[in-house]
Amino acid sequence: MPERDVVERLARFARRLRERGVGVCVSDEIDGAAALLLVDVDDRDEVRFALRAALKIRRSDWDTFDELFQDFWAAAPAVEPPATPREPPSRPRSDRTGPIPQWRWMQAVGQLPAEPGRDGRAGDTPGYSSEVLLRRKPFDDWSADDLPAMERLLARAARRLRCRPSRRLAPVRTGGRADLRRSFRRAVGTGGEFLSLARRDRAVERPDVVLLCDTSGSMDPHTRFLLTFALSLKRVVRRCEVFAFNTSLTRLTPWLTPDKIAPTLDRLAAGVPDWSGGTRIGASLDEFVTRYLDTLVSAKTVVVVLSDGLDLDSPAKLADAMRAVGEKARKVIWLNPLLGDPRYRPEARGMRAALPHVGHFVPAHNLESLERLLPLLAAGGGTPRSTESGV
Amino acid sequence: MRPEVREMQAAMEREGYIADPAIATAVYLARTMRKPLLVEGDAGVGKTEIAKVLARMLDTELIRLQCYEGIDVHTALYEWNYQRQLLRLRIAGTEGREPAETEHMIFSRDCLLERPLLRAITRGDGPPVLLIDEIDRADDGFEAFLLEILADFQVTIPELGPIAATHVPYVVLTSNRTREIGDALRRRCFYLYVEHPSLEKEIRIIRARMPEVIGELAREVAAVVQALRARRLHKAPGVAETLDWIRALLALRQDRLDADTMEETLGCVLKDHHDVRELTAADIESLLAGARSPSGADA
Repeated sequence: MPERDVVERLARFARRLRERGVGVCVSDEIDGAAALLLVDVDDRDEVRFALRAALKIRRSDWDTFDELFQDFWAAAPAVEPPATPREPPSRPRSDRTGPIPQWRWMQAVGQLPAEPGRDGRAGDTPGYSSEVLLRRKPFDDWSADDLPAMERLLARAARRLRCRPSRRLAPVRTGGRADLRRSFRRAVGTGGEFLSLARRDRAVERPDVVLLCDTSGSMDPHTRFLLTFALSLKRVVRRCEVFAFNTSLTRLTPWLTPDKIAPTLDRLAAGVPDWSGGTRIGASLDEFVTRYLDTLVSAKTVVVVLSDGLDLDSPAKLADAMRAVGEKARKVIWLNPLLGDPRYRPEARGMRAALPHVGHFVPAHNLESLERLLPLLAAGGGTPRSTESGV
Repeated sequence: MRPEVREMQAAMEREGYIADPAIATAVYLARTMRKPLLVEGDAGVGKTEIAKVLARMLDTELIRLQCYEGIDVHTALYEWNYQRQLLRLRIAGTEGREPAETEHMIFSRDCLLERPLLRAITRGDGPPVLLIDEIDRADDGFEAFLLEILADFQVTIPELGPIAATHVPYVVLTSNRTREIGDALRRRCFYLYVEHPSLEKEIRIIRARMPEVIGELAREVAAVVQALRARRLHKAPGVAETLDWIRALLALRQDRLDADTMEETLGCVLKDHHDVRELTAADIESLLAGARSPSGADA
């Protein structure tokens, strides 16, 4: 086949990959094209392996890659079928019918006009509430216009995060141990005399955070704010991974870019399957454990689960998954919006099953409660966790 | 298949590494295009071995940098020889030299201790294979630093100025995926994910690495290990474990696998307390039965 044709097809292939959420950038395409010059372009597998290496396709993306590779190999037609942008690979079966969830969400992020007469609050002037009021305002009462204010408050609070000492040594003024290298540099300036010793000590690191957000129907009033919180956190924490789960698990991190929060939320609403659907926490967390636990969770990771624990699944599965997460993570925090209600008792089966493996069980019904969470993220060392006896 | 790729596969096999086409293609591309090769996969699937085999194939030195949490420039790139510096400083002091001259004496190449990265790019005779092992253990600050070196193969030592590479080494990075490698570094490399071998491939690996294994032992052990991997284990055994197990069985002079021996030597393959405990006697029997029947071995 003519060379130009291959390059064009490769570009189209890369675009299709990107649309499906597989990160492939231009430099990868260049690598891909260069690799194709080196291999036998009539050998299907060889081309497949070469592109997999050159485009740096992760193991978890192999299925998507292979699926799209079919088209690439079968000389895709010049006119493309209408692509479905940003649709995640597999759209799981949903138990509901009808177009309910998406629009509720759209409305939440301000894409659709508010439902007329809903709680009669449509005419309120947004953004007027003073800071204190804003912080205590339950999430159910928030409107899309409050988001910027919340963003600012959270950004300020999140910046205070600091964490455990790292193994890496960084220069310090006092304490620590002598840094011979820098001492020598100084000694040269003073004619070879060591007037003072330079020192270095273990640096202080910020935590890595993994957020698992429940986006099922029962969480709907809270979801947008918890996600805003997740986004604010992502800006200050060096490594912050965000997942959404309802009946299945979706990794949101690739969608979260550090621009304005509202457009990001729009993108999410379009991309996450089964938004506002039912919940299968156990199965979703189980998927997290099999697919991501090894790479994303380490002894310096704080795992935060945002969910009301109202689960349709078997509690045993949830308990297993939570135990696996708890064993690997530095800390597990469960944020439950229902906990804001003093009458609430964690009696849902799912919640009861998960609790033994949770280090901190905290409310998340207003901004203040989220701010209280920050010190928990920051505090050094692990937390005493009740563990199952004998295992 | 392109003859060069086939030749790569054959060459790796001659060095005792059974490479499937995916591995051969990736190694061939990385070598030809002189790009670093990032190899990921579970523990014990033979990631590090790729670098060793490559070094043997190219008949060059293997320089290894083992990463760990907290690794920094001083252990990876260079360190000053402080004792020698102190000595020179003392001499300079007694001889009353000019400060500039003193500085020149202290910070010269012969006071510099080369660490793996610097050695790899300044090696005298020909490009070596540079193995950066378990990059996932180093923190991401170190990753950024590596990125700089892998981009232009030049290091800058503040006291000496830039040192350019005399040649570009063949770089192999391995990761056990205990954390995600940063995108920037991944983009710099060719990427290879090594999976656990298939039954046939595992048998070939055993035969290649241990020609002294006779009879059905290789097939039985491979089949049991394959079946074990299919179970949900905390730590799935890698090829390294399979080979260890064979070695243990050879030392015990076993040429078949039976329930008693298997139970006694299970520690060679299962290295997690939970995994061992969850494997009941009945499980062992069924694993063995599966391994002995030709059809069950495929399951």
